[in-house]
Amino acid sequence: MIRFLAPRLARAALTILLVVTFAFVGLRLSGDPALLIMGDDAPPDAVAAFRASWGLDAPLWQQYVTYGAAVARGDLGLSMRDGRPAVALVTERVPATLALTLPALALKLVLGLSAGIAAALYRRRFVDRVVTTLAVLGFAVPSFVLGLILVLVFAVELRWLPSGGHGTWRHAVLPVLTLGLGGAAAFARLTRSAMLDVLGQPYIRAARARGLPWGRIICCHALPNAAIPLVTLGGFSVGSLLAGSVLVESVFSWPGVGRLLVMSVASRDLAVVQGILLLTATTMVTANLIVDLLYGLLDPRLRTGAATR
Amino acid sequence: MTVLGRRAVLGGLAAAAGSGALPRIGVARSEDRPSIAIAVQKIANTNTLDVLREQSNVGERIFFSSLWESLIGRDWSGDLRTVPGLATRWRRLDDRTIEFALRPGVRFHNGDELTSEDVAFTFGRERMFGDTVPDTGETLRVNERPTTYLAGKLPPPEVPAVARRAFPALVSVEVVDRYTVRFVNATPDITLEGRIGRYGGEIASQRGFREAGSYLEWARNPITTGPYRVAAYAPDRHLILEAHDAYWGGRPPLKRLRFVEVPEAPARIDGLLSGEYDFACDIPPDQIAGIERDPAFEVQGGPVRNHRILVFDKTHPVLADPRIRRALTHAIDRDAIVAALWAGRTSVPKGLQWPHYGDLYIADWSVPAYDPALARNLVREAGYRGEPIPYRLLPNYYTNQVDTAQLLVEMWRQVGLNVEIHMKENTQQVMERSADRALRDWSNSALFNDPVSSLVAQHGPNGQQQQIGEYANGEFNRLCLELERSTDQSRRRSIFHRLLTIAEREDPAYTVLHQNATFTAKRKAIRWRASPAFAMDFRSGNCDARA
Repeated sequence: MIRFLAPRLARAALTILLVVTFAFVGLRLSGDPALLIMGDDAPPDAVAAFRASWGLDAPLWQQYVTYGAAVARGDLGLSMRDGRPAVALVTERVPATLALTLPALALKLVLGLSAGIAAALYRRRFVDRVVTTLAVLGFAVPSFVLGLILVLVFAVELRWLPSGGHGTWRHAVLPVLTLGLGGAAAFARLTRSAMLDVLGQPYIRAARARGLPWGRIICCHALPNAAIPLVTLGGFSVGSLLAGSVLVESVFSWPGVGRLLVMSVASRDLAVVQGILLLTATTMVTANLIVDLLYGLLDPRLRTGAATR
Repeated sequence: MTVLGRRAVLGGLAAAAGSGALPRIGVARSEDRPSIAIAVQKIANTNTLDVLREQSNVGERIFFSSLWESLIGRDWSGDLRTVPGLATRWRRLDDRTIEFALRPGVRFHNGDELTSEDVAFTFGRERMFGDTVPDTGETLRVNERPTTYLAGKLPPPEVPAVARRAFPALVSVEVVDRYTVRFVNATPDITLEGRIGRYGGEIASQRGFREAGSYLEWARNPITTGPYRVAAYAPDRHLILEAHDAYWGGRPPLKRLRFVEVPEAPARIDGLLSGEYDFACDIPPDQIAGIERDPAFEVQGGPVRNHRILVFDKTHPVLADPRIRRALTHAIDRDAIVAALWAGRTSVPKGLQWPHYGDLYIADWSVPAYDPALARNLVREAGYRGEPIPYRLLPNYYTNQVDTAQLLVEMWRQVGLNVEIHMKENTQQVMERSADRALRDWSNSALFNDPVSSLVAQHGPNGQQQQIGEYANGEFNRLCLELERSTDQSRRRSIFHRLLTIAEREDPAYTVLHQNATFTAKRKAIRWRASPAFAMDFRSGNCDARA
C-alpha cells in the first residue's frame, strides 16, 4: 500500500508546489498590484509606500521564501483590497460555490449515467439517437451560451425563475442547470461508450446464457466494469467543485469563489488569488489521489500491476 | 496571522449545505414609498465606500447624490453647475482663505447635527491627510498635534496620497464658530472652491468615524449626510441604501435603493426585462434599440463629463516629429466613430474642456479637423517610411474601445500611417516605458470647473503623462504653473487658450476622440432623469417611482 501511495503523494505535493510557484511568479511579472489597486495616476511616493507596506519592494526570491514560510504555517496573507485575511475571504465564498457545484455534480451523475446506460441498452434505436444528439449538443455548447439561453427562456420569456443573483433556491436553479447539463452530456457519452464496450464482453454473454436477470447483469457485472473511465471523469468533476464555475458565476452574478478569482486576478490581489489556486490545486490533487485509490478497488489488477503484464 | 483551520473548513462545508436555505435579502415594499433595484456592472472597485479610496466612475454612481455630500454641491440632475451644498454661502477673505457658512439643521445618519468640527475633522490628518505635507513644506495646523490614529483606524496609504493630490496646498481648516469654518491655503489658488466641492471633499461625521471599530468597518458604512444611509453592504454582491428621513433636502422618495452587482451586460439587460431589476446601468449602445422595442422600457443617458482621448508618447522615434502626431489627429473622422459605434448618442467636444468651466470655456475651439489630405501631406513632409507605430490597447476597458481602435487603424492606414495594435492585459502594461510605447487610450474628466482639474492635472508637469515620461514641453509646463497660481481670470483664459494650442495642435500631447457616454435602461413607469454624469440622482424632485 505504501509503495502504491508514496509516489502518488509525492507527485501531488510537487503539483501543488508548482501551481503555487507559477502563480506567484506569473502574477508578479504581469502586473504591479500597487498601480492596479491605487490607480494609474497615483503619485510615485504613494505607490512606493504601498509597495513597502505589502513587501513588494523586496527581491522576488525573498518574497517567495517569505510567502512559502507563511503558507507552511497556514498563513495565506491579507487581501490588499480588503485588508482581511485571504483565508477568510476565500472560505466565505466556498459555500456559495458549493451550493451550485454540488447539485450540479449530482445532476451530472444522475442524468448522465441514466441517459448513457439507456443509450447503450437501446443502441441504434430512437432512444440512443436522441441521447447521442442531445449529448453532442450539450457537450458542444459553451456554458455561458447555454446559461444565456436558459435565462432568455425561463427568466425573460416565461418569468418562472430569476435571471441572476443569489439568495433563494430559485436563484440557483438556472446556474445549476447550466453547469449540470453540460457535464451530464459528457457523462452520458462516456457512459454509453464504456457500457457498449462492456456489454460486448464474453462474461456478459455468459451471464445472460446462465439466465441471470437483466437488471442484475447491468448493476453487478456491466456497470462496475465500465466504471474506470467514469470514475476518472467523476474525479475531475469533484476536483472542479471549487473553481469549475467561473463563467457561470459571472453570467448569473453568483458570489462564489469563481467571481472572487476573476476580480482578484484583475486587481492582482495576490494573497487571494494564490489562496484560491492553492485551495483548487489541493482539491484537484486530492480528487485525483482518491480516483487512483478507487482504481485499485474497482480493478484489483491495477493494485497488483497484473493488468500491465 | 490567520491559519486555515479544521473548524474553518468544516464551517464552510456546513454553511454550503445550508446556503440554499439562506434568507433572501428582503427589500420590502414600503406602504407609502417604493423600493427599487439597480443592476450595475460594479459597485466599488476597492470594496469600500470611502470617497478618498474609491475614486472611480462606479463610485460616483453610488455616492452622488445618494450618500456623500460636500460643502459646495453640484446640480446633478441639471447642468452640473455648482450649487450650495452643506454650506449655504461662502466668501473669499483673501486669495488664500475662504470662509464657509454651514447649513444649519443638517443631520448625519446617526442623528448628530453637522458642525464646523465635523468639517475640520474631515479635512484633518486623522481622516484625510495622514503625515503628508502641503507643498509649502508646512505641516497641517489642524488641531496643532501630530497625527494619532485610533487603534485600527489607519487609512490605507492611497487615502492621504489622493487627498494631498486633491488639496495640494491646503494648510488648515479653522473652526470659527459652530457653523463657520475657514479654509486656509498656502498659496493663492483661484480653484480652491472647485477643489473643496470636488469628488473627495465630502463631509463625514466625526463621531461616526471615531465610533467605528476599524477603518474598514467605517469605510463600508460611513456616516454621512446624504438622503440615503447604508443599510447593508456585501462587497461584490449588493449595496442597500435606505431613506434618511431627516435629510435636509426633503424626505427621500424611495424607501430603499438596492444596487446589485451584475458584471455581464446581457445579464443586466435580461434582469431588467424579466422584472428582476428596475434599472440596468452601463448598457452598450448597440443594445439600446433592442431594449426600447419593448414599450415598458426606455434608455436614458448620453454624454458625460469625461472625454475619450488618445495619448501620444513623444519619446517614440516616429512620434518625436510633431508632424506625425498632427497627421494622426487629422486622419480621424470622429463623427464617423460617433455615428457607427455610438448610434449618434454622444458627441465630439471642443477639445479637452467642458462648458462648466464658465468664463474659461473657449467656445470657438475645436478638435483638429478631419482632413486626410492635410494628414497625407504632413506624413510626406516628415519623411515617414512606414515604420510601425505601436498602439497599446486593453480589451474594452472603455466602451467600444477595440472597435474604435480598429476604425482608427484603418483611418490612419488611409493616410499612409502604419499603426499596429498591441493588446495588453492591464494599465500597467499599457503605460510601461519601453521601445514599443507610442499610442494608448485614456479618458479625462474635470473634477471641478477649471482647466487645472484636467489639462494641468493630467498632462501638466505633475500629471500622469509627464510623470511616466511620455511628454514634455517647456512653454506648456511654464504656463501650467501660471494657470495654477494666477488669480487674473482674463490672463488665465489666454493661458488656457495657448495651452490647448500647444497640447492639441502644435506639439500634440493627446487628441480628443469623443465624449464618453453612459446609458441606463429603466422601467418607463419610473419618473427619473439621468444626469450628464455617472452619478444617479434619487432625491425628491428627480425621482418618482410610485407608478
